Amino acid sequence: MIAILRTAFFGFIGLTVVYVLVATYSRSVRREKLEKKFDAGGIEGDRDTYIEDGMKAYEHGLKHRLLWLVYIIPAVVVAVTVYLVNYQ
Amino acid sequence: MWKYVKWTFRILVVLIVAGFLHYTLPHHDIVRITNTYNRMTTVGSENSWAYASPDTGTAESAVTRDIRFIEAAYDDGSVIVYRNEDTGWVWPPYFKYDSSNLQAEAGNLKSTEAAPKWVSVTHYGWRFPFLSIYPNAVSMKEVAGPDVRIIPYVNIVVLLALAYGLFMLRRMWLQFWERMVEPAVAEVEETWDGVEAQAGAAKARAGGFFGRIGAWFSPKAKPKR
Repeated sequence: MIAILRTAFFGFIGLTVVYVLVATYSRSVRREKLEKKFDAGGIEGDRDTYIEDGMKAYEHGLKHRLLWLVYIIPAVVVAVTVYLVNYQ
Repeated sequence: MWKYVKWTFRILVVLIVAGFLHYTLPHHDIVRITNTYNRMTTVGSENSWAYASPDTGTAESAVTRDIRFIEAAYDDGSVIVYRNEDTGWVWPPYFKYDSSNLQAEAGNLKSTEAAPKWVSVTHYGWRFPFLSIYPNAVSMKEVAGPDVRIIPYVNIVVLLALAYGLFMLRRMWLQFWERMVEPAVAEVEETWDGVEAQAGAAKARAGGFFGRIGAWFSPKAKPKR
């Protein structure tokens, strides 16, 4: 029993590291995209405002929420493995 | 000389990674089960890595314990012995805790050469008589005959996921480099240019210092002297 909790605990820590890495990467890619879009021309207004607005839209968008899959997919994989190995 | 060292190192890394994956990923054998039993087994320091860790369900003692075994024969007459132990919740990540049931299934599927029942045994690990290590049977099911083709879906998915993970790790690293390290290095160089213009006396020491820091982070630049 204690082994399950230990696995869950360390798994959670490991996945949090992955989550932070993936979230940082995703944000960085989005910011670069916005910068390039603005620099390509044709957009009115201030560069920083445009990028900050774009980043805010990203924070509330679907892609940002999909990052939770970092936790969900491994949990589902473990559950499926447990089922297939022990209850088939 | 350096070239050989580098290539030996690379080949070693590839061999270790491949061996690790080959040990850990599931394989399928199509066999006829001939016997199931348990026996007291002493696990030594040289092969304990190939047995369940002491805190999993079926392994009460770290040194000598009762381990379930399954004996089987291939179609060509050669034999294989599996151990049947819980993996527990850490490594390898099979999360197997139904060893008793598996042993019962194996006993139920026992058959003779005259009237064979062919069984596909999913297992991981190696049979290595020299070290007295046995592959761990994970699950088994009856199949039509010894020539049934089994597609290793799990291996395909795991290897693709690993490749994707490595690919993403590389992309993340390159992104980090482009967005964080290169601008920082450029800033350090600018700062240094300013320092250089002002203080000629400290040039040699400071140049070496900043140059070296820049060189740690830059893939191309050589340290400034």
